[in-house]
Order: sequence, then C-alpha cells, then structure tokens
Amino acid sequence: MAESLGLIFGIVFGIIIPLSFPLLSWAMGRWYQGRLVEALDANEKAHGTILQSDRFSSTTKKMDNMTATSATLLHVSICVGPSVGQVVLMWFKGLFGGRLQSYDAVLDYGRREVLFRLKQQADSFGCTSIHNIRLETSVVSFAKNNKESRRSSVEFLAFATGIRQ
Amino acid sequence: MEPATTISLHMSNVETIPGKTIRASLGLVTGSTVRAKHIGKDIFAGLKNIVGGELKAYTELLNESRNEAIQRMMMQAHSMGANGVVNVRFATSNVAAGASELFCYGTAVVVE
Repeated sequence: MAESLGLIFGIVFGIIIPLSFPLLSWAMGRWYQGRLVEALDANEKAHGTILQSDRFSSTTKKMDNMTATSATLLHVSICVGPSVGQVVLMWFKGLFGGRLQSYDAVLDYGRREVLFRLKQQADSFGCTSIHNIRLETSVVSFAKNNKESRRSSVEFLAFATGIRQ
Repeated sequence: MEPATTISLHMSNVETIPGKTIRASLGLVTGSTVRAKHIGKDIFAGLKNIVGGELKAYTELLNESRNEAIQRMMMQAHSMGANGVVNVRFATSNVAAGASELFCYGTAVVVE
C-alpha cells in the first residue's frame, strides 16, 4: 500500500507536474497568439487597405510621377517571442527536424504586425505613401545569465520614408 | 537621460529628401545608445513569456532607446550645421549579456 502510494506520488511529482507546466504554457500560448492574429486580421481588414497598393507602399527608391511636398522618416519596432512551453516542445521537435510551426507562426505575426503599425504611423503623420520599406530582424536578449538565454525574443524593425503629397 | 532640447530635422532613408533640394553634403553622422533592462520589467517579461506573443516591455524599451539614438544623431548633424539627414540606416546588436546596442547612421545634408 505504502509502496503504491509512493509510486503515485513519484509519478505525480516526477512526471505530471514538470510536464504539465510546459504543456499548459504551450496551450495558453497557442490560444493567446491565435487571438492576436485574429485581432490583426480584423485590423488589417478595417484599416489596412489604404496603403496596400504598389502606388502607396514600395520597397524601391524611385518615386516616379510623385510630387512630394515633404517627407519624414518612419520607424517602428516590435519584440515578439514564443511561449516557454512552445520553446520546450520545439526542442523535442528539433530532434526530428522539419517545420517548427509555433515559431514561424510567431515570427509571421510579428512581421505583419510591424508592417501594420508602420502604416498606422504613416497615417498619423499625415503621409499618403510609404517608400523604401526596409525590414530588419535581430535577436534581442536582455537575459542576465546563460540560463535565461532561451528567453530571448526577436525584434522586428521596419523603417521607411513617408511622403506627404 | 533625455536631451534638453529636441531638434527636428528632415530625415529620410532614400538618397534625397522628397520635396526638397539638397545643397551640400556634410558627411557621416552617427548616434548610438546601449541599454540594459529594468529588473522589474525583466520579471514582468518573464511572466509574459508564459503565453508568448508581443513583449510590450521590450518593445517600449527598444523604441525609447532608438529614439534616443536618433536624437543623438540629429544633434551631431545639427552641430555640423546640417538641417537634414538622408539615407538613415539602423543596426541592432547584442554587445553584452543583458544589454543591447542600438545604432543609427546617415549622411548629414543641407537642404532647401
């Protein structure tokens, strides 16, 4: 009796509790990030259409047939990271290789969000078009020691020249 | 450490400033800042890591720091007698554990 009780305690404290936190964090991460993406989808539909065409946003430096009155530098950055549980599960997935779905979902979200915010900033500065958009990615870690280094996050920076016509 | 006076110059990341004419080019100007993170924000960001997504504390910190780097670049340009900076580029690097360097550079110009 005492032995089987010990075994149950062993299973609960040795396996279930250590595993349940990453799984819970993974599930919460999936849910929360899904919500973020939905909100972004809705925002893009509602406000993102103004600057969607080539005429209004481009990655080129040429500005043909445009008569600008003034220009301004726009820059937006955002820091995103996967949840702790996703990092743990990604480690297991990494043993087999292949697509790391939770990671590329996070990165895709970050990139879309930063472009959307760039457009918002352009709007708030009264710009009618955005030119020479550049996107940069860097790993930002403010971790004070090595143990925390997997808590690193990815920074997306978008900068562009906004044109007022 | 916010600079006492905020200067506003014409800036762009293309070779010209649209709508203006460049009269003179004065050379390279740079601005950089190294920032470490507040420990309170550290703990909060750690909690936020349970769900992932955007880490607002880091986003704000980086935006503040980048604005400061730009401000320093503009002050340098201003002291050279320029009223515009073209071809602005940004760079971010991890210089030490717990700190990040934000760097920006461009060409100081006189525009009309």
